[in-house]
Amino acid sequence: MANDNSSDGSPKRSRLMGIFWSLLFLAVPVLGVAVFIVAPWYDIWLPKDVSEHGKAIDGLFMFILALTGVVFIATEVLLFWFLWKYDAASATGPAKYIHGSHAVEVIWTIIPAATLLFLAIYQMNTWADVKMRRPAMAASVEVVGRQFEWRLRYPGRDGTLGTPDDLFLVNDLHVPADEDFLVQLKSMDVLHSFFIPNLRIKQDAVPGMKIPVWFKATENGEYDIVCAELCGWGHYKMKGRVTVESRADFERWLEKMYAQQEATQPEPLSGADGAAVALTQ
Amino acid sequence: MKSQSQIVSRTLVGHHSAWAVIACSISLLMCVSGCGSTPAAWFRPNMVEATKQRLTPDQEQQVSTVMLAMFGTPDAPVALPETGLDEAKLQLAAGPVHSDIVGRKNGLYREHCAHCHGVTGDGLGPTAAFLNPYPRDYRPGVFKFKSTERADKPTHEDLVRILHNGIPGTSMPSFALLSPPKVEALVEYVKYLSIRGETEIALMRAFFELDDEAQGKLPETREFLVDEVLTPVTEKWKTAADALIAVPEMASDLDLAASIAKGKELFYGDKANCVKCHGPTALGDGQANDYDDWNKAIVEVSKEVKSGLERAGETSTSGMDSEALAEHRGQLAWLDKFGRVLDGGDALRPRTIQPRNLRHGIYRGGRRPLDLYYRIHAGINGAPMPAAKGTVPPEEIWHIVNYVRSLPYELDGELGADRPMVAKDRF
Amino acid sequence: MSTATASTTLSPDRVSQSLPPARKARPVAEFLSTYVFSKDHKVIGLQFLFSTLLWFLVGGLLALAVRWQVAWPWSDVPVLGKLFAQQGGQMAPEFYTMLFTMHATVMIFLVIIPILAGAFGNFLIPLMIGADDMAFPTLNMLSYWFMWPAFFAFGASFFVEGGAASSGWTSYPPLSTNVASSPGAGMGQTLWLVGLTLVGVSSMLGSVNYMTTIILMRAPGMTMFRLPMTIWAMFITAILQAFALPVLTAAGFMQLTDRTLGTGFFSPEGNIVNNAMQATGGGQPLLWQHLFWFYSHPAVYIMILPAMGMVSDIMTTFARKPLFGYRPMVYSIAGIAGLGFIVWGHHMFISGMNPALGITFMVSTMMIALPSAVKTFNWLGTIWGGRIQFTTAMLFALSFVSMFIIGGLSGIFMAATPVDIFIHDTYFIVAHFHYVLFAGTAMGVWAGIYYWFPKMFGRTMNEFWGKVHFFLTFIFLNGTFFTMHILGAVGFPRRLADAYHYETFHHLQPLNAFMTYCAIGMVATQIIFAINFFWSMFNGPIAGRNPWNANTLEWTAPSPPGHGNFDFQPVVYRGPYEYSVPGVEKDHLMQTDPPNAAEAAAAAAAHG
Repeated sequence: MANDNSSDGSPKRSRLMGIFWSLLFLAVPVLGVAVFIVAPWYDIWLPKDVSEHGKAIDGLFMFILALTGVVFIATEVLLFWFLWKYDAASATGPAKYIHGSHAVEVIWTIIPAATLLFLAIYQMNTWADVKMRRPAMAASVEVVGRQFEWRLRYPGRDGTLGTPDDLFLVNDLHVPADEDFLVQLKSMDVLHSFFIPNLRIKQDAVPGMKIPVWFKATENGEYDIVCAELCGWGHYKMKGRVTVESRADFERWLEKMYAQQEATQPEPLSGADGAAVALTQ
Repeated sequence: MKSQSQIVSRTLVGHHSAWAVIACSISLLMCVSGCGSTPAAWFRPNMVEATKQRLTPDQEQQVSTVMLAMFGTPDAPVALPETGLDEAKLQLAAGPVHSDIVGRKNGLYREHCAHCHGVTGDGLGPTAAFLNPYPRDYRPGVFKFKSTERADKPTHEDLVRILHNGIPGTSMPSFALLSPPKVEALVEYVKYLSIRGETEIALMRAFFELDDEAQGKLPETREFLVDEVLTPVTEKWKTAADALIAVPEMASDLDLAASIAKGKELFYGDKANCVKCHGPTALGDGQANDYDDWNKAIVEVSKEVKSGLERAGETSTSGMDSEALAEHRGQLAWLDKFGRVLDGGDALRPRTIQPRNLRHGIYRGGRRPLDLYYRIHAGINGAPMPAAKGTVPPEEIWHIVNYVRSLPYELDGELGADRPMVAKDRF
Repeated sequence: MSTATASTTLSPDRVSQSLPPARKARPVAEFLSTYVFSKDHKVIGLQFLFSTLLWFLVGGLLALAVRWQVAWPWSDVPVLGKLFAQQGGQMAPEFYTMLFTMHATVMIFLVIIPILAGAFGNFLIPLMIGADDMAFPTLNMLSYWFMWPAFFAFGASFFVEGGAASSGWTSYPPLSTNVASSPGAGMGQTLWLVGLTLVGVSSMLGSVNYMTTIILMRAPGMTMFRLPMTIWAMFITAILQAFALPVLTAAGFMQLTDRTLGTGFFSPEGNIVNNAMQATGGGQPLLWQHLFWFYSHPAVYIMILPAMGMVSDIMTTFARKPLFGYRPMVYSIAGIAGLGFIVWGHHMFISGMNPALGITFMVSTMMIALPSAVKTFNWLGTIWGGRIQFTTAMLFALSFVSMFIIGGLSGIFMAATPVDIFIHDTYFIVAHFHYVLFAGTAMGVWAGIYYWFPKMFGRTMNEFWGKVHFFLTFIFLNGTFFTMHILGAVGFPRRLADAYHYETFHHLQPLNAFMTYCAIGMVATQIIFAINFFWSMFNGPIAGRNPWNANTLEWTAPSPPGHGNFDFQPVVYRGPYEYSVPGVEKDHLMQTDPPNAAEAAAAAAAHG
């Protein structure tokens, strides 16, 4: 006879409560998996990837999702099963008096250890590609984070940053498609973080440091630049846009922006895409 | 012996009163927190001007009522036809932000601008006090960066350009990524707030002109309010495009190096006298004890209040007749009110204005040669930067422009022989 | 209680006497020394408990304000909207940065760390090891009272110019060192640093006490490997605190001098903030990050290990089964603590530190998942084959395990550096730490409260309302936090006052509104807990010494225990978790039950 600490009355009611609680815990893996399956239908999932290394990153994400998903389902279902089966209200004998099992401990230490170590080693190459193997090229643009904007500086016709023909822009980054692109990331004041979700890149901009960020964009389009490190009250406002376009369009746009920058006579305003902004009076 | 914890648990309250205490605290909490929602936003009256004009509470009330009729509320703006403003665009910018309605149709100003520029456009939003420089107060109707002569209003395009480019070197961001209709709506709303602010100031100043017959009340006739008060304000906006600065072409065969050398002479010379404020090193370390117009206004009234208090303190009240005594007391009350207005939320602590550090390569009004020409030719309205118009011929202004544009790239060797960094990266 | 009639002898080197002094003290002084500046560990533990529960409410309300803005940006905020009346109740963006900063600060430093070590550690350690009080009672009293200046510092910071600290609880410079960059970086940040230092002092005083007490004051027969898991967890947590905290204190001091004395530890040269060039330079912002995370990573283990220990104790009691794998469980805790010192860089993969460190920290971070996994498997092994009683405490303990699985597995995504490139500073991270800290530790805390409430107050809490509290909290917390994983996968960033500034996030607004409704429900549910807690203190059914029929030492003392804890000298003969021993009529054996020959033989045979 065991002391029953549940304050429920009859054994039948106790069993019903046990079933209820077990099912509540079963809801965790069921609903958990359901959320991850349903979300992509509502377009709540990884954003479109338009970068070369993005495939590796997304692949790793999905691989880890699958692995953790399996473990998640297994452990949570096991939890449910034990709660269901070993309810005191439906138990016939005493609990198993066992302090553990050396063999089992070894197994469930070695297997996760090997898996985790494998995971770590498997990813080193991708990390090195994205963060360590910088392409040997001059910087394509200098991006300076500032409260609360992204100041851009293209090298201009002479191809060198820091000369009078540099092109200065704000928040409007253009990138030629299918080419290596190297950003020199700086910050003028506090920490910012240069995050382009669709290109799967993110790098903190640290004042006092010049950090290279590189990628290759594979598809034309307009994508967001988001600031991903708290930089003050306007952190949410640090929205930029990156436009990926063909090399020819990119050159044309550069020329147009440069001509605007050098204007000595009044001319109509150009929008972010280079087209004239239609003004009404 | 009872344990201390047992004593603790039994000492305070009895059995049933525990319930009462808990129930009361919850209901008290709910009452105090105010289950009702906050009232709608309202336009803050220009208390600095009202106090400066020594308006009585009745007069302040009259101004508020007239303003409400002429311009409406932050949620429901009114644009009289004489203003030339498009009420549909104002609707888009006005009102509270409704983020839960995707594709919402209004609230733009409050979403993007109000926390710095204030709901009233008075530069007194909650974030304003923490910014350097302070956000613009539209109410005097003065704008710095434009393509028109110094004393004139900006054109529509000028304002669009500011929203588009932001103001580099300040907290004003670029709104280039907003769609053009939204930018248009915001520009219209800024004009609306500016016209509203100027009209309010004009109304407050009009009390001074009243004769005794009016008994301290403004005539509430269309003739007075619209023709005499409103129209002078809106006319300036409508004729802004007529005051465009005429910019001569820069010679296409210009020898840049020679132009820069000539510009340098002018920079250091007496005609333009740039070094007086920008400093001989162009680092902006010339004189630094001047104010822009908005801060200067506060400085002046603060001085007036301070000296008024000193004088009032020195005046002895003995031997005053009742009329003089009443006047003296009235003066003290007015000084006290003004002091409270200046220290409260109606004014920001004045800051001196820094002449621009030209070695940075950050140009607030735009970096095009054209923009620099505008700044030098007309100076900066509202700031101590004087107009070179009249003293420096137009072609020579181009030389100064070219020199200024070369300043960030001047090799540091010019200033110190053995530091070969570009000035821009050094300073 | 009277020691004079105790059948055991008092050992001569007992640290404190059980009887109060004979002289009659003055009433006020007696009141102060009995209830206010008490040196009795149980009173101190309760003082910690009440204070931290109050701050839990504050932190929860701050969270609701954050959630409101995330779901309905720039709309009229209830209650707080009055501060922004001229804007129609629309909060200012710097106010938002302050809200999430102080929410995290309050929850971490004023709730979770003090409630685990200060409330439970203080109350339980002497009771569970058979001591009559802590090794240093006066130090113990001081460790509580050092919290009060910290309460004032953090509380006052809301009312100073510029408001409370608003640079995130991580306080990265230059944002936090420069008042020009952020309004809360003025006096608010200084008070924040002061408060942090005081909390640190309190923790250090506590950890010294706990380590000494556990090592030196165990009852006869209580060997280290007969200690309940709660004590092992508290012990190792105390060691973690002692070694990690000095680094944070030093870093905090460096930041304080950067802000007030013009040193340049963290300010780089040539910085221009808010259009003003900074006067000092030569420092590195990354230095702060390293120092901060060197403490704050062990801190997160400080914030979960005690709960893990408590959950082990609670689950064994209500499964009527010994803990599966006692020694592996102990070694896992030690492993988590040890590895916890070499993983701090995983908070900094994207920070600009040398990318090669991204490789090394990835390996160590992956490995730290191992001991947590081992613990989870052992918990499952504990309930396997048990006779499970679904009490409120057990439900909370089970939910700890269930939710910790989610929190722990989501950590693996972040340990993977290439994936972290994408999910760093998104809601994926927010989901992870809320699962381990709230769905994990806070559930463990509630389990502990429901479980040890009878020992603290002599009465049990109402089981029915406890289960209602559990059920609603469980549903609402999952509703609030689970979908944050998905938001993170979208790339939805943290700490944004208005994410819908970006068209790509527009369609997430309904989901955020749903999460906010769940959060409101979750906070409202705690009213049930509060009423149950206070009502039961005075009106609950009287509990005997051992209402749960558990076997650890605290259940041999009276409920609540008197000064000196035990009315007999405890002598320990067996380990914790001796439940359902074959051949024994009762389904549990207390640690103080002496063995008889038959039992000894049966136990030896059944030990796996």
